[in-house]
Amino acid sequence: MKNPKDKTEMAKISKLSVVEKGARLADDVVVGPFCYVGRKVEIASGCVLENNVTIVGRTAIGEDTRIFPMSMIGMTEDGDEDGVCVIGKANAVREHVTILAGTTERPTELGTGNLIMVGCNISGSVRVGNHVILANCTNLGSRSVVEDYVRMSAFSYLCEDIIVGSYAFVAGLIIIDRNIPDYSMVQGVPPRVRGVNTHNLKACGFGEGDIRELKRVFRDLFNGGDHLNEKVLAELDAQENLNVYVRKVVDTIKQQRQAGLKGAW
Amino acid sequence: MAVKVEIIREVHPSARIASDVKIGSFSVIGPDVTLGPGTVIGRNVTIAGNTTIGSGNFIDDGSVLGVVPQDLKYRGSPALLIIGHNNRIGRRVTMHIGTEPGGFVTRVGDNNVFREGSHMAHDCFVDDGAVIGRSVQLAGHILVQNGAVLEDMVGVHHFVTIGRYARISSMTPVRRDVPPYTVFGGGNEEAPSVRGVNEDGIKTAGLAEDETADLRRALGELFEDEAALQTKIEQLVNMGVEGEVAYLCEFCQQSLQGKFGRYREVYRGLIPPEAAAVLPPEKLSELERILKIK
Repeated sequence: MKNPKDKTEMAKISKLSVVEKGARLADDVVVGPFCYVGRKVEIASGCVLENNVTIVGRTAIGEDTRIFPMSMIGMTEDGDEDGVCVIGKANAVREHVTILAGTTERPTELGTGNLIMVGCNISGSVRVGNHVILANCTNLGSRSVVEDYVRMSAFSYLCEDIIVGSYAFVAGLIIIDRNIPDYSMVQGVPPRVRGVNTHNLKACGFGEGDIRELKRVFRDLFNGGDHLNEKVLAELDAQENLNVYVRKVVDTIKQQRQAGLKGAW
Repeated sequence: MAVKVEIIREVHPSARIASDVKIGSFSVIGPDVTLGPGTVIGRNVTIAGNTTIGSGNFIDDGSVLGVVPQDLKYRGSPALLIIGHNNRIGRRVTMHIGTEPGGFVTRVGDNNVFREGSHMAHDCFVDDGAVIGRSVQLAGHILVQNGAVLEDMVGVHHFVTIGRYARISSMTPVRRDVPPYTVFGGGNEEAPSVRGVNEDGIKTAGLAEDETADLRRALGELFEDEAALQTKIEQLVNMGVEGEVAYLCEFCQQSLQGKFGRYREVYRGLIPPEAAAVLPPEKLSELERILKIK
């Protein structure tokens, strides 16, 4: 890294914005009018902050991330500006989004290529994987985890300490208070595992056979309901040569139970 | 002693703004924006993109209008957002410009009310006199017809049509077309459906007395048992219908034919007639060129 002070001067920063001394902005960062960038913020090259964006705390933002008007990143619930927030590359943070910062031990983390749509709230210490799409007004509770390629629909409310498995699809206007298995499609109150997220799996290049196998297993295991068939789970676990993806679903459920997680099945 | 308040805002010099427009502090107006006379803009408002706003509109604090759509099929062309006259746009409202395959334009008519935090996505059409409640999220390609009322926190699926003077109860997930003059509602436990006749809507529509009576009768017959909707429509049409009843029958027929009960699914990848009607000719030819290249 070059001298941070030089960098701040070279970036395209609107005269109507405030970038505190100590903030480290790469050469080509664009900061629109009425933005506020705190003194411990680090912004990598290619990032665009449109107007009226507030970024505070110990926040690091990866390359090519675009932050739209009225978004706020890096504050904590107690109002101090010492939280940690790590945002990866090529994310789009849309209008009116709030991303709260986590602690030093457990920062708020966003991976690569996520799309966080209008009005979402991401609480402290949340971990979001890669290529996730959170639709409008999604709320992620504190310490929750959203794994790779998840699609969450509008108004979905994720409670605290809940894990949404990779490639899952969550329907709109629902409250999620238990962990969601990988590859699943979830709908209803209380959330019910309706089946496999076939559309997303196909788009992500899963084989026909794998999808068929997952569908069959999900039908037996959850039967479209909110209960898990223990007998089927035990049978699947005992099987050798189990499909890798099915094995992942079974192992995740078992691990979450052993760890005594709040949302375990 | 009066406190002198300095207004700081960034208005691009090439924006076309009528002389009596009021713009609050910390608002940003982009280069291709047109603001009609009598429009009042609050604080922290962003108006970007190729946005045309008519006269007498009130845009409250924190709204963001004319930003690029969230749709992944958007390819970066300067699509349009057109807002009519005398609309009240509440705090934190977001409206996006259109996408190329969706028709290139998002349009709001006249005399609409958008309450706090509502969102209108790409390629939506809101006609006149509609009320969009708090935090209502309209997905893409939606048509909201005259006088429809969406209560708070309604989420609408893309390609849905909401009929004239329909009313949607709060927190309803709308996944299919909402017939005109009805009250539509229901939660996650049971599928949302028509719950009755929207008496307020019929009153607001200002129809003639005999037409109102006909409309009430038709609504009662059609939605008594929704499973038999198709036969009921045929019966009504065979008896001969006109005016609003004819519109109601046509609407229900189109919805039944549409994929998943959404008539506008037929416009996937096509320019919808509403867009073709409002697009200026040079934009229409530009759009056709873009779609051909694809």
